[in-house]
Order: sequence, then C-alpha cells, then structure tokens
Amino acid sequence: MSVASDSPVHSSSSDDLAAFLETELDSDSDSSSESFPIEQAHDADAQVSNHRLKRQKLEYPEEETENVASVTFSEEISEASSSKVPCEHPGTFGNMCFVCGQKVEVTGVSFGYIHKGFKLQQDEVTRLRDIDMKALQSQRKLCLVLDLDHTLLNSTVLRDLKPEEEYLKSHTHSLQGDVSGGDIFMLEFMHMMTKLRPFVHSFLKEASKMFVMYIYTMGDRPYARQMAKLLDPKGEYFGERIISRDDGTVKHQKSLDVVLGQEKAVLILDDTENAWPGHKDNLIVIERYHFFASSCKQFDHRFQSLSQLKSDESEPDGVLSAVLKVLKQTHSLFFQDGGEDLSSRDVRSLLKQVRKEILKGCKIVFSRVFPTKSQAEDHPLWRVAEGLGATCATEVDASVTHVVAMDVGTEKVRRAIREKKFVVHRGWIDAANYLWKKQPEENFGLEQLKKQGTDDVSAAAAAAASAAAAASMRTVVVRFADADAAADAAAYHIATAGFIGVSRRTQRSDAAAAAGSCVNETNKS
Amino acid sequence: MFFHMVLERNMQLHPRFFGRSLRENLVSKLMKDVEGTISGRHGFVLAVTGIESIGKGLIRDGTPFVTFPVKYRCVVFRPFEGEVLEAVVTTVMQHGFFAEAGPLQLFVSNHEMQDGMEYQAGDIPNYTSSDASVRIQKDCEVLLKITTVSVVATEIFCLGSIKGKYLGLLNDRA
Repeated sequence: MSVASDSPVHSSSSDDLAAFLETELDSDSDSSSESFPIEQAHDADAQVSNHRLKRQKLEYPEEETENVASVTFSEEISEASSSKVPCEHPGTFGNMCFVCGQKVEVTGVSFGYIHKGFKLQQDEVTRLRDIDMKALQSQRKLCLVLDLDHTLLNSTVLRDLKPEEEYLKSHTHSLQGDVSGGDIFMLEFMHMMTKLRPFVHSFLKEASKMFVMYIYTMGDRPYARQMAKLLDPKGEYFGERIISRDDGTVKHQKSLDVVLGQEKAVLILDDTENAWPGHKDNLIVIERYHFFASSCKQFDHRFQSLSQLKSDESEPDGVLSAVLKVLKQTHSLFFQDGGEDLSSRDVRSLLKQVRKEILKGCKIVFSRVFPTKSQAEDHPLWRVAEGLGATCATEVDASVTHVVAMDVGTEKVRRAIREKKFVVHRGWIDAANYLWKKQPEENFGLEQLKKQGTDDVSAAAAAAASAAAAASMRTVVVRFADADAAADAAAYHIATAGFIGVSRRTQRSDAAAAAGSCVNETNKS
Repeated sequence: MFFHMVLERNMQLHPRFFGRSLRENLVSKLMKDVEGTISGRHGFVLAVTGIESIGKGLIRDGTPFVTFPVKYRCVVFRPFEGEVLEAVVTTVMQHGFFAEAGPLQLFVSNHEMQDGMEYQAGDIPNYTSSDASVRIQKDCEVLLKITTVSVVATEIFCLGSIKGKYLGLLNDRA
C-alpha cells in the first residue's frame, strides 16, 4: 500500500485512512509505520515538506470523508466482481442473469443458435454489434447472410423424385470422407437428396475472404446443420453462425435481429424477397435454383427442372459467379480509401449505387405493360427499372433508347422500330435485375414471344397478367440455364433466357382465370 | 450429484397390452416415458435400474385405460449450488463459455473467471490467461463450481465459476 504516494482521498480502505490520520496526529518524525517506508528514506527537509503536504492533504479528507467511506463500503460489497457497478443483466440463461445469477424477467432477443436458452438484451446486442463492427473493419470484412434452399442448393424429399430423375441416385457422392468435391448427396436418414448449386464451393471460398458469413434458412435446425456440413465440412466458413427457423423471432419471416452485425454492414443473399420484410435494402435477390422436379412443382412452374433435362447451370457464367462479382464490387467500394471514416459508410447505399450502374444511360418507355388505370410511376417494374439506373418516360421521343412492350402491334412499338430503337419484352429488365448486368437486347425481342407455342403464350400472358396486376406480394422468376439444353418446348424457354414465371401459388389461380385472355386485355383488368 | 432412489409414477396402460406380458409392457413403457426426462424436484432421471413394486391397477372411469402405481428405482442426477464438477466446454463467447456435464448445461461468465483471463476472438475463440499458460477453448475439460441452479419448466440451467483454487482447466483438448 503506497499510501505515501497517494493522497488520502484515493486510499482504498477506511482502515488505512484511520491509520493515516492517527499517524498524522502523532509526531511526523516518529511515524515509522510500514505504511510510510518512502518517507523514511527522505532527509529532514523532505520530511518537513512532506509534512506540510500531508497537512494540506489532511484538509481534503475532512470534506470528502463521506465520499471515501461510501466508495470503500460499496467496494467491500462488490469485492468479488471485477466491476464496481450493479449488474446490468445483459442477458439471461434460462431465467437467470448470466452475470450475477439473479432471477430476472426474461426479455430480450433469443439467440438459440449460439446456445439453447440464451437471450441477450437489446442494449447488449447493440454493444456487441459495435464491437463486431470494429473487429470487422480491422479485418476488412463485411457480413453476408446466406439462404440455403434454392439459393445455394436444392433439396428434395426422396418420395417426390420423378422416374426420370432416378438416374441421379447412381451419381450421388459419398457422405463419408471428403465431401468438398461432391455436388449431389443422398441423405437416407433424412429421406432427402440434395444438390449443391454449381460454383458454390468457389463462391464460398472467395466470399469468405471478404465476408463473415451466416446461414439463415427456413429449414429446421438439424437440416440447417446437415447442409452446413455439406457446404462447409471444415466449419471454417460458418462456424456456429447457423440460424434456422427455430431461431428466428417472427414466424415465417427473417430478420437481422439475431445477426450480431450492424445493419449497415450486412448483405443478404436470398431467393425470396418477401422473407425479409424489414431489410429489403440489404438484400440481393438471386434467381431460384430448380434442380429437382419437385422444386418446380412447389412453385407451380410448368417447365422442366434441370434434372429432368439432364443439364445444370453453367459454372463460370452462372448466377453465383455474377453475384460474386457484385459482392466484390460492393466490398471494394466500402473499403475504398477515400479518406472517409469507415463508420459512416452504409453498404445499403453502396448496393444501390452498384445497381444504378446496370442500366445507366438507358431511357425506357413502356407499352401495354401497365394497366391503364393505375399510375405508371407506381408500378413495380417502373421502380425496378429506375433502381437499375434507367430513366423511365411515358412517351417516345428522340432520347428514348428502349421500348418495353408485350405486343408488336402498338403505336409506340412501331415508332420505335422506325427510329431503330430497341424493342424488348419485360424479361430484359428482369434479367438485368437478376444477373446484375445489361443483357443483349437481341435475346429479348418480341419475336421470341411469338415463336413459342400457344401453351407458352398463354403461360407468358398469364404471367404478364398477374405480374401486371400490381400487388406487392409477388416474385418474378427468370429462368436461365446452359444454352445446350435439349430442344424441348419447355427447354426452349430456358435456352432463350427470357421466360418469365410466376412463383406464387395464390397468384397462380388469378392468373389461370386471366389466362384465357390475350395480352391486350390484361391491361384493362 | 448422483442419487439412486425410489420414485413413484402412475402408469396408464391400454387393454391391448394386457395378458401374459402385461408387466413387461408396463416396465418398457415406464422406461420409455421416464428415462432421459427431467423432474423439477429430482433432476435428470438417467436410468431405471429396477422395479420396487407395482400396485393394483384401477380402471379409469369412462375410459378403458388402467392406472398402475409403479415404484421404481432409478439413478438421478441433480446439480446443487456449491457442487464442484467436471464439464466439457462446448461454446466460447465474449461473455463467457458454455459447458456441459452430461445432460446438464452450464454457463461460466467471464466475471467468474480468474483475473487475467481474456477472451480471444478468431477461428477458435478461447479464453487465455495473461501469462498464456492456460487456454480454455472448445472441447477442453474444466473443473467448475456451480454457483446458481435454476429450474425453468422442465429445463435445468446452471451458472458456474472457475474462480477458485483448483478450479479451471483440467486437460487440453485430446
């Protein structure tokens, strides 16, 4: 206890203070107690000056005795804990605060994927997010939340396998040993077969250099963990960060509240926009991966799945590699050395920026795409086009570059053809939205729509009908696959990279009702 | 702490199980129902070792089911405050680490560790002492003392501490 060097105010024990006062009142030269070893070494002058100092210091204790006493008293109580403040109960394990053990009311966000029964208070979550942000910045990484089904892989129950898909059973990779080379797996114990999306291993490897990755799936916990073992056998990409539907806070919805990363540094990759009602700005919507026939059936698509066509998405040109490019772009924008403070950058605005580059410089006019009654500017397709960086107008003039139409017969289209403008159907905009790249307009010409059989026209019309009858709860799926697919009617859709499918079962029934009408009539509904 | 004690339970049996093997059916149903469950008062029921007695069966009014009061011997495990036991670390976090001792889940907060233990984030998060002599990470065995026991519905949660003489890391990961 170097009481000599400290003033009495800082003495940490009331006993010491008493001793100090006692020795102080005694003659100073005789105060040879152990608490003043330093003074012993001082010469007489020093001792005199020290004594004077002590006198002055003595004034303080009189005023602040109470403060000192209260500090020491509470210290003695909280001697066991390292902090001197009462416990803030940052979270609970069971119904106890996990710091002090008291029974507290169980509120807070449940982090079941970290451990069962573990909950954290909102303040604590914010604090952890701040710490995480600093750690990420020093590592130059952001957060990436990945969906599983139809995004990174496609699973089917063995019962639902069609006869033409039976050949797959002989191609499955063994679950024993090294799974990192395999793409298709048979999980007998779960009665399922899973196909990983092409390019997924390289995607995860590249993305893990730039992002700390989470899995967030609507499957249950055992399924999520099993898929993580297939995607990440060493546990190096995801670790314990596997969130399943059992860990979500709201049923049938995903939210970033269980992700320990700040919202402005998190990107989400998912095939369903509506699963993330609160975080659409962080979301990159990806095209669905339909490998198995049951997957197509689930979404009421009538085209054949990739397994039935015995083909697969192209690895280097596929969807995942396009998304990887976008992720790289956003990441480099975030960590660009612009002298700007990193904490003020928001990945959401950067994502918008990247998106606006896609159709930059295009001016689009829509013909017979929107219902005449509604406001064109409010239509989702208009909004999507503007989000992609294009400007939209309602009348054709000299500056217009593209006309989006569903039928060649309209005045706008004829004028555009005369003036050598591009005439495309709406798949061109959707393709740009999903592939993050401007597509060649030749692949989306209106002639393509006409070439398809009547079935397909009505399907396309039905799709256009329901898509045009604006409602927010709709996702549009664009089909792309290798151009070497078989020359089948359905395959033709896929090969021409321009088919639009409707994914919602509920809207399908409306569409079926409207399917009888041709394109011209849909816009009057 | 483990106990070997006699517990009682009323088992309901459907008449389809009556006959020569009624007693066997009753015992197997008992084992299926009770082994692996948690009783708030007695803790985890680990294994049924034998049947003490089976009382007279009474038919429940209005149903064909018959209720037998069964006394059985079983091994139970119940944590107590102040008890010291060995546990295996399962998850390490900023706030502390989770460990399990058989069926029991425990949490040791970083306030309940020796001074100088620091959390190290990374691929393998761990707690390291200031002189780097002690490193606690996943799959390590620790000797800890239970500080609080809490029974919530049919779950038992415990908080533990490794702050104390002879507590803390036992072995490194195998």
